[in-house]
Amino acid sequence: MSEMRAMVAETAARLFGALGGDFAADMAAVEAAGLGDLLVSADAGGFGGDWGDAAAVLRLAGAAAVALPIGELMLARRLACDAGIDTRGLLTIAAVAEGVLADGGFSGALRDVPWGGDCVAVLAVVDGRLLRLAVSDAVVTRGANMAGEPRDALVFDGAAVAAGAAPALFEFGALLRVLQVAGALEAALKLSVDYVNGREQFGRKLAAFQAVQQLLSQFAVEVAAVEAAAAVACEAADAGDAGFAIAVAKIRANLAIGVGTAAAHQVHGAIGFTQEYGLHLLTRRLWSWRGEFGHDAFWSVRLGNAVAAAGGDAFWPQLVARSDAHNRRMA
Amino acid sequence: MSIFASPLPVLPDVGALRGKVRDLVAEQCPDNPAARRANCWAVGDAAFSRAAGAAGLIGMIWPTRYGGQGRAPLERYVVLEELLAAGAPVGAHWIADRQTGPLLLRHGSEEQKLRLLPAMARGELFACIGMSEPGAGSDLASVRTRAARTADGWRLNGQKLWTSGAHRAQVMIALVRTDPESSRNAGLSQLLVTMDTPGITVRPVIDLTGTHDFNEVFFDDVLLPHDALIGAEGDGWKQVTAELSLERSGPERYLSSFALLIEVLRWAGATPEPAVAALIGRAVADLATLRRMSWAVAAKLAGGEDPALEAAMVKDLGNSFEQALPPAVQALIAVDAGGELARVLGHLLMVSPSFSLRGGTREILRGIIARGLGLR
Repeated sequence: MSEMRAMVAETAARLFGALGGDFAADMAAVEAAGLGDLLVSADAGGFGGDWGDAAAVLRLAGAAAVALPIGELMLARRLACDAGIDTRGLLTIAAVAEGVLADGGFSGALRDVPWGGDCVAVLAVVDGRLLRLAVSDAVVTRGANMAGEPRDALVFDGAAVAAGAAPALFEFGALLRVLQVAGALEAALKLSVDYVNGREQFGRKLAAFQAVQQLLSQFAVEVAAVEAAAAVACEAADAGDAGFAIAVAKIRANLAIGVGTAAAHQVHGAIGFTQEYGLHLLTRRLWSWRGEFGHDAFWSVRLGNAVAAAGGDAFWPQLVARSDAHNRRMA
Repeated sequence: MSIFASPLPVLPDVGALRGKVRDLVAEQCPDNPAARRANCWAVGDAAFSRAAGAAGLIGMIWPTRYGGQGRAPLERYVVLEELLAAGAPVGAHWIADRQTGPLLLRHGSEEQKLRLLPAMARGELFACIGMSEPGAGSDLASVRTRAARTADGWRLNGQKLWTSGAHRAQVMIALVRTDPESSRNAGLSQLLVTMDTPGITVRPVIDLTGTHDFNEVFFDDVLLPHDALIGAEGDGWKQVTAELSLERSGPERYLSSFALLIEVLRWAGATPEPAVAALIGRAVADLATLRRMSWAVAAKLAGGEDPALEAAMVKDLGNSFEQALPPAVQALIAVDAGGELARVLGHLLMVSPSFSLRGGTREILRGIIARGLGLR
């Protein structure tokens, strides 16, 4: 890990340990720590971090079940900056936009916008253009995902927009979730391991039972797979060639959520099902994130179609060419 | 931070190396059917092994004085993944390249190295591994085959079972009990057994597909010279377990079913129906992720570390992926009987149950992972 990345991670860990639960105050602390501008280039006044730095922060955020749109803000600032759009204020992103762009105004709906009603503006892709829409122009209907994180509907009627070239907002949104998933799964695994090492039944620690060992081993392997897929996706995102790797990573993360949350709840027994115990803070987020920015079938079909279009004979050469190219760039 | 989340070391440009392997396979194995490309590290072809040796693709990380090329371990990884992805019949020399050669380099005498390694690197000398016995499968420390000291060397008696390739190998590295008073993993040693030594009987064990890969090998008062001992007497267990990470994390742990994926892609064409596209996408996601995990372990091994826990993870996940793919294809695609896809699918449905048995069963591996997690 680079020195800078270690510093960023340390800053984030300290920050996440000191959050008070008030949205405005907590986001002010995020901004004060510089995390909102992490992915904005230094030339544009940002921190100049890369996706590896973002991963360090978002894995910690996922592990700590931080209920703030930190990834959304980071990504929105980066996209807005690259598109030459106003980056100021709390920004969030919409995964999908339904509506039309006519006479420079947007009419339509953005659904399930993370913290949509709490932000100043939202970025969305419409007709191949990246739009910055002011939340004050929207009729906001509050909603939430399974974990209670705000997912708001924003309806616009001829709202004025700032527009720029459209980047892969949806893909990068999926990468945010993959990184949060990696952190949350790591934390759920640790919680599970600690629990079975402390709890006794039938006169033995739960950890002593082979059935429990096998279940948590499978969980650990899935966590490792998400870590590997996330690392590749971050490298690819920094290289500007992220479509394939992000699809791989979101598919892999979604699969790991199924195995990991089932194992975590199984070894915890009834206590893991209570409001009082912290496991649900992780698992309810994981179940929510699995469906956000593309479910299993969406990404599997998209990836499968891309591979099929290139043909069976091209698959292996293209697969290895991607990692070889990364190597050459690093050399 | 987990090794899987860490960046990989940078490789020299390997484009030419990949091209060399692809050219060799295209030249040596034109029209290689998919069912033979699948699980190809169990397919032995002495002519191919000689060609691979002549091309410098066996023992390539060994020093040149022993017939090697002195190449970097990660360059060897590139060669292996290219050979396996192309479905090359590498089974004859696989064990010598992966295990026996490295073992001799680490623990062999200078005389053993000079005598054996160059022929292995030429693809002419093949090796097998005598580990399992009728009473010692996953529980290798129960080995009962005995070697007793004699005035001239060793007298070997006992039996090995499930010995892959013993019928074509000229040498075996056998794990045997050299201290009759010992039990479990103490008192075991590794002996180099020349397979044409009198007293050795090799009998085929035909697998459920009708293929001859396994053997049972009987030792009846087999006399071996003093220098049959590899490494130190009584260190056999330590020497064997040190090899396991090499064996468990390589590309053979996720590329054994690769030929099936390619045939599915050929069958599906450029615009598959959504369910088939989803199957392909899911398999590609698993494969690409396993490849990175395997590379991460290879990089640590190349750096002199022994990531035994992570190697077990790669094997466990790779086995699960390779066993899940054939039934998933069968569940979705009505293949034409007698076609290329049907043949490779049928072959893999039959052989894939062995993937989570060979090289450490799934249950043993998960026990190792559990220990790494601090559960035992």
